Amino acid sequence: MVRMGKNDHAVIEAVLAGDKEAYGALVVRHSESLFRVAFRITRNEADADDVVQEALLRGYQKLASFRAESNFGTWIYRIAVRCALDKIGGRKVNDASRVSDETSPELQEVQVADWAAGPDRLLLSGEIGAMQETAMHSLTATERTAFVLRHMEDCTTDEIGTALGIGSNAAKQAVFRAVRKLRIRLAVLRVRT
Amino acid sequence: MSHLREEELVEYFYTRGDADAPGRRHVENCAECAEAYTALRTDLEEMEFAEPPARDAGYGVRVWDSLAQRLPAYEAPRRHWLRSGFWMGLSYAAACGLLVTSAFIAGTLWEKNQTNTATTTRPAPPAPKEKVVLVVLGDHLDRSERLLVELKHADVDSAEMVSPLRDEAKSLLAANRVCLKSATQGDDPELKTALGDLNRLLDELSSQPEGLNSAAIARLQSEMNSDGLLFEVRVLRSRIPEGQAAGTTGAGGGKI
Repeated sequence: MVRMGKNDHAVIEAVLAGDKEAYGALVVRHSESLFRVAFRITRNEADADDVVQEALLRGYQKLASFRAESNFGTWIYRIAVRCALDKIGGRKVNDASRVSDETSPELQEVQVADWAAGPDRLLLSGEIGAMQETAMHSLTATERTAFVLRHMEDCTTDEIGTALGIGSNAAKQAVFRAVRKLRIRLAVLRVRT
Repeated sequence: MSHLREEELVEYFYTRGDADAPGRRHVENCAECAEAYTALRTDLEEMEFAEPPARDAGYGVRVWDSLAQRLPAYEAPRRHWLRSGFWMGLSYAAACGLLVTSAFIAGTLWEKNQTNTATTTRPAPPAPKEKVVLVVLGDHLDRSERLLVELKHADVDSAEMVSPLRDEAKSLLAANRVCLKSATQGDDPELKTALGDLNRLLDELSSQPEGLNSAAIARLQSEMNSDGLLFEVRVLRSRIPEGQAAGTTGAGGGKI
């Protein structure tokens, strides 16, 4: 979770008073952490970069509605999660991965046809990771985002619910569905090993 | 015995670090659920997802560079016309004028009321005058005490040391006469006696046309000791509150 700098509020006051350049300090301070969560959700570097920019742009536009008692880091983090969710929600599931001769996470291409390759080869070629990526892409946008926030970002279900704009129980269900789907998808690895 | 559902096991996996994690007791006491939980934990812990690529120190700056041109500056909040310099100054002036006028009217009314009350109920107390007298008397006694101490320890062979005593005695004599006159009109015999003794000593000190010689000083010291004059002055001084003498450094007689 992003933590807030001491003088974020002072910077925001300056921006709202007309000092646009002051916002640069917030951008520099929070870009890297936003990129990390954006990448974990989108699984794509270019998309994560887009999400960072989109989140900071939306944050700037909504800055007047930012409440002084809030934490800017948490606030912009939630915006980034929503942007990432929009990003992956806009993709068709089938577009998420293309079958190719070689595995390339960068290009969202994965070699999945040859199940008879055996676990040794899978391990050696690092295709277990590719399988997991594929399994992740099989999740809905909400499930994937909820799982990432729970499993990798250590968010509570309340925080996930707030970030996704859903209730805490719905967030818990989304995490559960994601875990179950991933386990089913990846069961084949467990059996073969 | 009902076992934990998979959903509950998942929840337990992510909250297992909490002391009051739901399902903890059941998993610890139920072999079947413990086995299911172990399988779940193994699956989840074995999942390894690609870590985000590292971003260099200039990443944030580059993001800002590409973002800055797209951001319109916020308009500074407009100042209300009442807050503009001219009107604000005018408001202050009006407020000050109103305050002064109110204070004047209130003061006039209060003074009038006080005068009426005083004339109908009792005569005005002479408190201010008494305060001035106490201040002057306190200062006079302070100076007199210092003079007497210096006289008591004066080196009779040193003309340089005793010469200032005579000058100071002259200065104190005028004030002492006024204080003595005031004490004579009052009903304080101790003050009257002490000031009378002091007056004689000061008169003798200041009326030596040829200056103070060793014989004169010795005589005065003897008289002062026999009269207990220094002690009397100190007792009188102690009767006057400390604050009354504060700031009184000028000649005593000038304030009456």
